[in-house]
Amino acid sequence: MEYKVEAHRIMSISLGKIYNSRVQRGGIKLHKNLLVSLVLRSARQVYLSDYYGGVCFSAQQVESKEWELMDAEQNKLRPAAEEGPAPQKDAGLGDATPVADEPTSQPQADGESPAGAQQPPAEADAETGGTSPAGPAEDQTGGGGRALPDEAGTPGAHSCPTRKRGAEKSHHACSPQKRTKVTPTPDSSGAAEEPEEMETGNVSNLITIFGSSFSGLLSKDDTPPASEGEDGDSGSGQICCDQMLKNLNPWTTAIVAF
Amino acid sequence: DPFEKVDVVMVMCKSHLGNVQATRYVLWCRDAGFTDIISTVEFNYSGDLLATGDKGGRVVIFQREQESKNRPLSRGEYNVYSTFQSHEPEFDYLKSLEIEEKINKIRWLPQQNAAHFLLSTNDKTIKLWKISERDKRAEGYNLKDEDGRLRDPFRITSLRVPVLMPMDLMVEASPRRIFANAHTYHINSISVNSDHETYLSADDLRINLWHLEITDRSFNIVDIKPANMEELTEVITAAECHPHQCNVFVYSSSKGTIRLCDMRAAALCDRHSKFFEEPEDPSSRSFFSEIISSISDVKFSHSGRYMMTRDYLSVKVWDLNMENRPVETYQVHEYLRSKLCSLYENDCIFDKFECCWNGSDSAIMTGSYNNFFRMFDRNTRRDITLEASRENSKPRAILKPRKVCTGGKRKKDEISVDSLDFNKKILHTAWHPKENVIAVAATNNLYIFQDKIN
Repeated sequence: MEYKVEAHRIMSISLGKIYNSRVQRGGIKLHKNLLVSLVLRSARQVYLSDYYGGVCFSAQQVESKEWELMDAEQNKLRPAAEEGPAPQKDAGLGDATPVADEPTSQPQADGESPAGAQQPPAEADAETGGTSPAGPAEDQTGGGGRALPDEAGTPGAHSCPTRKRGAEKSHHACSPQKRTKVTPTPDSSGAAEEPEEMETGNVSNLITIFGSSFSGLLSKDDTPPASEGEDGDSGSGQICCDQMLKNLNPWTTAIVAF
Repeated sequence: DPFEKVDVVMVMCKSHLGNVQATRYVLWCRDAGFTDIISTVEFNYSGDLLATGDKGGRVVIFQREQESKNRPLSRGEYNVYSTFQSHEPEFDYLKSLEIEEKINKIRWLPQQNAAHFLLSTNDKTIKLWKISERDKRAEGYNLKDEDGRLRDPFRITSLRVPVLMPMDLMVEASPRRIFANAHTYHINSISVNSDHETYLSADDLRINLWHLEITDRSFNIVDIKPANMEELTEVITAAECHPHQCNVFVYSSSKGTIRLCDMRAAALCDRHSKFFEEPEDPSSRSFFSEIISSISDVKFSHSGRYMMTRDYLSVKVWDLNMENRPVETYQVHEYLRSKLCSLYENDCIFDKFECCWNGSDSAIMTGSYNNFFRMFDRNTRRDITLEASRENSKPRAILKPRKVCTGGKRKKDEISVDSLDFNKKILHTAWHPKENVIAVAATNNLYIFQDKIN
């Protein structure tokens, strides 16, 4: 649970930095915004991975194998409440975390994909001074996440950002959608809904605040946005369009605007 | 008197054999009225001149005192030689952008006559400055008074020839070339080529090659801007010309890679000749792995055989003949690795530290926080941490090497990681090209340390 809080906190901080960079003297700094957007993307994946059972790897490569492993691990998950989030994350992110009791040997699906997405709980742990094993809420969320992979598992419908797919998918991901409200992502777990809704509520507030500022910049095409020829980065633009991720498009387009 | 001077400090450090060696350093703390943060420091080719640029667009040049019988003790002292406003804040009306006047880099040109030339750049414009001395003045004009007031021509009854009279030394700086409008993004590097005719300038996405005499055009030699900006994954962070081979240059990226390019291969050097990258250690990945692997500075060794790169936590020395990993890695402040999230919050993780070689390439130096700077001896593998601070700058003070306590029991004289002042950062350091004299910029103070062995 802490890692999700941490991920959300990092997302807020990152958005704040992107917003502040617009009013900084000297214009938008491309390098810093690129780095911030990479962190934002990683944090977002960690944040979302909890909802979608960690559906975050390249569909092209080891998808079927991963599904098998994930199912196997999720079967192990049920009795062990404490290991709830960790193997979940392992399944999703294909990475070993200190929290996980079972060392993950799953190959990282795409060497390039969400760079920072691995070990966010470790980072969160380091910063929060140690994370207590997740409680029952996590397990239920994990349970909810378990149900999702089936619907989310359609190959090609979504995956983690991969640079190769950026060109094909970008037109999906960045169709201008002026959304100022983030709808809570469907979570079939139900039990852990409340705290997550609150967090999403906070997030939607952020979007509302930033959305109004970015209202003039939400169209994505070749016409340069108000601030220049300095089209900033949008690592997020590479994220494939996904039914479940669509409601976070305002962030995508906001970053594209740079 | 705005200058504070400390005569001699002793630096005591343990040699690798365990015995204590004392090296005497002469320390000067120059407060040349820096109201602004120093943003760049650079010695010229002889080391007699030291240029500093600051956030306010000012350039202050220090000159080394020559040996003289009158003041034997002041040999080697650096005093202010020239001060001028290099860049002013500008406003780009078309883009509604303010352009900062902060001097990002200064690079000296090799000296060819009595005058000195340097290039200084802010985010958008590079200027070539000529610094010359004037110690004579013409007196005895016919048409004007010594005050400069025009004389009534009808009252002139005789003519005289003006003569040159000695005057107090005046150092003048005048802009000789202005290289503008060639960079859409922020300029991060300039580097003078070994042919002494051309130089390169690099921004986030492009590198341009200029001729020093020609200001209205430049050649674009690297362009990494993707057709679709959404696909942008890395930017150029630093670039430098090879010290001897005028066709070779390198540029570093935000992904921690270095590309070496040969200008003979093609007009557009998008395809590198060599690609330097160290495989990432998968066990150390985190949210911030990408940020800390971004290279903030790249410098060729004087020999031209090696290059050094600085990322957030370490300095790496690369052999140009080996692309797959550096030959040496030095940890600057590894104790910060567990603090990356806090450093991200307070923006310190974006600090761009520079690094430099000594004249013989046997040692390297880089800065850290709490006004610490680190020097690494490549041969003995010894390293030392020193602090540039006024509190330590008393006459006959002993400048002790500093040590950061990373955990467990803190020993006396050690400082704990949590006590470090992250507002006191040393980003810019410079090493004299021939002698053991170093210049360290600590916010708005310049410290000059000199190894003085009597």
